[in-house]
Amino acid sequence: MDKLRRALSGDDNYDEDSSTGIFSNLDSSMTLNWGTRIKAFACCFVVGVLLSLLGSVALFLHRGIAMFALFYTTGNIVSIASSCFLMGPFKQMKKMFASTRVIATIMVIVLFVLTIISGAVVPVLKSRVSTRQFRLSKDAAEDGTSHDLHQWLKRKQSIWQNDNANPFLDKDQLEEVCQNLVANNPQLPDSLVEFSFRDKSFKPKVFLNQHISLLEVESTCVYIESPEADKNQIAEETIPAPVGSELIAEKHFSSSCEETENDSVRDGEDEETTDDVDDDESKDTKDEKDEVARQTPGGKTKKLMNQFNFCERASITYQYLLKNARTQTKPPTRSQFSDYATQWIIYDSYQEDYESQEREKEKGKKDRSSAIVKKDEFKKSSLTDRQDILGINVVKKALILERMINQNMFDEILQDFRYYEDPSDEFRNTEGTLLPLWKFQFHDIKKLCVTEIKWNPIYFDLFGVSFGTFNFQKQSTKGCFCLWSLKNPSYPEYINHTSSGVMSLDFHPSRPYLMAIGLIDGRVAVYDTRLNSKSPLYESSYVSNKHSGIVWQVQWGEDLTDGELIFYSVSSDGKVFCWALMQNHLTQTLVISLFLSSNVQTEIHEKTKSLKDSGTCIALHPVDQSLFLIGTEEGFIYKCSTAYLSMYLFTYTAHQMPVHRLDFNKYSPNIFASCSADWSIKVWEDNRKEPLFVFDATSSVGDVRWAPYSSSVLAAVTLDCKAYVFDLNVDKYRPICIQTISSKKLNKLTKVAFNLKLPVLVIGDDKGISFVLKLSPNLRIRPKIPKKQQGVDPRELEIVKLEKLLSLIREPNEITKSSIGKSSDSSSF
Amino acid sequence: MSNEVDEILKRIQSYKGVVGTIVVTSEGIPIKTTLDNTTTVQYAGLVSHLADKARSVIRDLDPTNDLTFLRIKSKKHEIMVAPDKDFKIITVQFQPND
Repeated sequence: MDKLRRALSGDDNYDEDSSTGIFSNLDSSMTLNWGTRIKAFACCFVVGVLLSLLGSVALFLHRGIAMFALFYTTGNIVSIASSCFLMGPFKQMKKMFASTRVIATIMVIVLFVLTIISGAVVPVLKSRVSTRQFRLSKDAAEDGTSHDLHQWLKRKQSIWQNDNANPFLDKDQLEEVCQNLVANNPQLPDSLVEFSFRDKSFKPKVFLNQHISLLEVESTCVYIESPEADKNQIAEETIPAPVGSELIAEKHFSSSCEETENDSVRDGEDEETTDDVDDDESKDTKDEKDEVARQTPGGKTKKLMNQFNFCERASITYQYLLKNARTQTKPPTRSQFSDYATQWIIYDSYQEDYESQEREKEKGKKDRSSAIVKKDEFKKSSLTDRQDILGINVVKKALILERMINQNMFDEILQDFRYYEDPSDEFRNTEGTLLPLWKFQFHDIKKLCVTEIKWNPIYFDLFGVSFGTFNFQKQSTKGCFCLWSLKNPSYPEYINHTSSGVMSLDFHPSRPYLMAIGLIDGRVAVYDTRLNSKSPLYESSYVSNKHSGIVWQVQWGEDLTDGELIFYSVSSDGKVFCWALMQNHLTQTLVISLFLSSNVQTEIHEKTKSLKDSGTCIALHPVDQSLFLIGTEEGFIYKCSTAYLSMYLFTYTAHQMPVHRLDFNKYSPNIFASCSADWSIKVWEDNRKEPLFVFDATSSVGDVRWAPYSSSVLAAVTLDCKAYVFDLNVDKYRPICIQTISSKKLNKLTKVAFNLKLPVLVIGDDKGISFVLKLSPNLRIRPKIPKKQQGVDPRELEIVKLEKLLSLIREPNEITKSSIGKSSDSSSF
Repeated sequence: MSNEVDEILKRIQSYKGVVGTIVVTSEGIPIKTTLDNTTTVQYAGLVSHLADKARSVIRDLDPTNDLTFLRIKSKKHEIMVAPDKDFKIITVQFQPND
């Protein structure tokens, strides 16, 4: 305990007596006992430590540095003083200022003082200084002084502090002063008058100029290309202009702003004056305080623009009201369409398009004025046309169908027609047969008699038949003519009824649709089978221009040089007319009026000079169209010419009965055949009084025809239902085929016609039936082409064959006669 | 014109072996028939399809060509079709051999 006491009391030299003496002296001087001193020391020490700790904590609080300095210093002093309780204040002082410790002690005391000064005194001083500086700067702002950067920064801090303190908020300044702006100038004298010398009176003077400027603010915007902008540009070289700005925002320079920086230092008196600055100016200073002054590298101060100082001016313009207008429409109608296109559909559409284009072209050519008038008519007619075309198409198709059905029905006959060649011909030597094929029959014409059969010159499977009557006691008022096709034996292709019997018919050789017919009542008519109407194209009148007897035959002649068509007709009234088809009518020309030749006159009727003869048939010369042959009822054949009307070129005393047919050979125009009701068939040569061949039949011969395929074949039909086929080359004396056509034998055969291409012939009877028969191979023998003359025309060969035949007969004229007589005897059955 | 068509169709009907005739439109709808209803409908539908197809074949082979007639021989019948742009005429005929 003593040791501790000693150590604590700082007694280093415990052994020294002197020291103990002092210590004891001190002890004695002490009034406090040891225990109390220990306690006081502990308390002071703890308080000192706590104070210094508190100071440390206060460092983080508001104004911490001052508090820290205060508390920390106090804490240290208290803890140092605590040791005074242990060793006594006097001794303590003594030890502290001992030579060994004096420097440290002084250092401690000095540092204490410094700490307090820096922590507590300096901030207070500082605040006082900054306040003064703020006032200074305010004065500087009033005078437009610019300051350097450092000063600006300082001031900023000070303002922040002063704002909290609100140093300028005086009551006067808070008052609101209202100033109203009016449009009229209140200072303008309103009752100013002026003396007018003209009116000699005072007149109120009118001030027009009401303009005074209350507030003038210069624009902060400068046009970039103006000289002012250039100036500013130079000033602003150090600060890059904002990108894309066309106008430079520029500081507004007022005249007061231009001052030097030496105003920054001012006296406190000046500071006081700033308090009287009015509101506007204080605002200005607020703006101005942002002003930046910089030192240029050259050391020369340069005014810089305040980028943030600009005037904002706003105006409200008329706002257009926005309107929204909406409507809803119906959605466009949709439809789905699908189709497929093939090559031919595309082709058809192109074809249609082409046709319509063609039509439009034609329309364009037509006269427009007439088109307008006829438009409606045209529409109507086109409508009916369409229906007609449809109807015609239906008819056409139906006819094709009919033919096909007939083809099925008559399939076997068709096969025979095409392919059957009678095999028995080979064993029959020279004789041949006729194979019956179809019967062309029509219920309407059962009572009528076939009066003429003609094959169409162009359409080889088509033949025309005329129906009339040969029974002149029972004249029927009905007659008709029709066209049959081999393709349809059931029904005629064309049928036309007439008011009286049709006795003759002929196709025009080059116009297969034109038919001339001769009627019982003496009229002639021309029909065009292409027309739908059944009325004739041309018709001779009932009264004047017609024959006065039965028209026995009509035949087309060669067209006239000016293109008119002509045909000849021969009638029982003894006249031969030539009819020409003019534009609208038939013109009638008398070719010849038949008269009985003189010798006959003298024989029979001596007293009368001339008698009429009635013609029954006519045959135009195939080469020289001015020549023609006429057969008469008296049995004569006259050779006439259109050039000599008064006389006959030649007269053949041919038959005893009416001549029924005259037919020129198809190969030689000098040879012709005739047949008559006197049961005979004769073959004649031109200008030869005697016939070359005479064949006798068993009945009246209705018709005789030369075959188109051979120069020596001819066919004839008789009333007793027999058909004869002769081939002069094969047998000069008898026919090579005699065939009964109908089993009933009641039918009287009237007419016959060879097909121009096919080996068939048609025979008509008096019941209106037309029989089609096929010629067997023996009946159509053609001359063999000699090997040496391969290229010779078969026609030439036919002619040569005929010439050969004729030469046999001609040369011994007398012999021929006798031979004919013989043949006629032999051929009479 | 329709008289003429009627006449021809009547005539066709009168021929030996003809069972019946049907006139159908291009859509295959029968307009005129001499057969009973069910047969007509069958023939009109089926045969007009066939004819259309046949025509299409011919036209596809050569667009300038066209079908003019179609005949189908069966054991019992022969079906003949005369096609046109706007209509078809179908005729059924017994085989003459049978």
